Amino acid sequence: MISPVKIWRNQKHFTKLIGKTGRIVSWTMIRVPPDGFSEQAPYPLAVVRLDGGIHITAQVVDWENDQCVTNQKVVTVIRRTIDTTADGVIPYGVKVKPV
Amino acid sequence: MNITVAGIGMTKFGELWDASPRWLAGQAVTAAIRDSGVEKKSIQGLFVANMLSGMLGMQGHLGALFAEELGLSGVPAYTVEGACASGGLAVHAGVMSILSGQYDTVCVLGVEKMTDHKPELVSSALMGAGSNEERLAGATFPGLYAILARSHMEKYGTTEKQLASVAVKNHFHASLNALAQFTHPITVEQVLRSSCVADPLKLLDCSPVTDGAAAVILTKHQSKKSGVHIVASAVATDTLGLAGRKSLTELVATKQAALKAFTQAGVEQKDIQFAEVHDCFTIAEILAIEDMGFGRKGEVGTNMEKGIYTLGTAEHIVINSSGGLKGCGHPIGATGVKQIVEVTSQLRGVCGKRQVKQARVGLTHNVGGSGATAVVHILKT
Repeated sequence: MISPVKIWRNQKHFTKLIGKTGRIVSWTMIRVPPDGFSEQAPYPLAVVRLDGGIHITAQVVDWENDQCVTNQKVVTVIRRTIDTTADGVIPYGVKVKPV
Repeated sequence: MNITVAGIGMTKFGELWDASPRWLAGQAVTAAIRDSGVEKKSIQGLFVANMLSGMLGMQGHLGALFAEELGLSGVPAYTVEGACASGGLAVHAGVMSILSGQYDTVCVLGVEKMTDHKPELVSSALMGAGSNEERLAGATFPGLYAILARSHMEKYGTTEKQLASVAVKNHFHASLNALAQFTHPITVEQVLRSSCVADPLKLLDCSPVTDGAAAVILTKHQSKKSGVHIVASAVATDTLGLAGRKSLTELVATKQAALKAFTQAGVEQKDIQFAEVHDCFTIAEILAIEDMGFGRKGEVGTNMEKGIYTLGTAEHIVINSSGGLKGCGHPIGATGVKQIVEVTSQLRGVCGKRQVKQARVGLTHNVGGSGATAVVHILKT
């Protein structure tokens, strides 16, 4: 469940991850999404190794067909994550964009 | 370690619209108690394995709920949750409670009711087994295993056809199991042509949404009826999310739990004739066989296609004689307990058409999430 307090608390952490480059380690295309993601599906989901060694799991956005491949270079960006909740909170998080 | 599996029971697995969790639990436990010959009043502890009741049904406190329902009120009762490994973990907790010396005889119940809720909600609730980062990224469990599958395919040349042959084998085995969810065989072509869920995994690479319950009675006493014993019970954990893993082509928790179990039991891979492994997705069965050392890394896919893990091949280990999660069904909390039920049945030699020849030592392997928990049990006659 989306909690406005939790979103507020987590934003301090995820903003540290913005603007970092890395490479796709492995990926899939989510065609049957979970609750709250149906408007975005289908979307690619990847495990990414950021420069420096941290790994993250993130959606790939602004991609072309030939860019969903292992070892594709990407950069982390802020994007809306899940559908807006009844509380009116728009949840944001980290996604990656091919570069 | 020498814990007797005195009694076993399970319900039909499937889409059981008219069955409540209470009814399912009642069927499985009543059958297990009757099978054991143990009197209900000698059961000193109840371990209930379940994952989704709190999230989907808003019902927690399952220990007390099922103790009341089963006529065991007054008995210490616990809920054990470890995602899809809840069942295996509950069996482990039951075994530990007997080894502690506090209880002589306990009941372990695994129960899950999944079809009461719409698929997107079930999918979201199952992601409770993953990390917060994965949930915010819109990951699903088919998606996480698809990421593992792609890594395996790119590193070892594993093919979609090899993955499909896991589902074909497990549907064939399930067709010999009257309690299985799917009793129809399928072909590799049908798997490859089924709709894509998360590339490269297709619908028929995935275990289904299932209702069902399974129960076992464990005791420190020898049983007149059942000569089946748990000789190893081991658990290992790993990072909750995939991003924390060093490798995406193995599940380290499986390796560690298996190693501990082999040491505890004093057996090697070659001593084991059959295993129930965690095939929530076809790639998961290939990882399980490799990570427990029943096949070399990167070679299991080819061997799967040749059919060496299918019933009737005497020289190789038989994998998932019940039909596994793919064919028999995967009611989350019940799965790990059902694996013990299947292995016990095989060791008793009562499996009819799906009986493994000369079954003397069997293994169960139950995984939670994308490999954050692994539970391995070894059973002997």
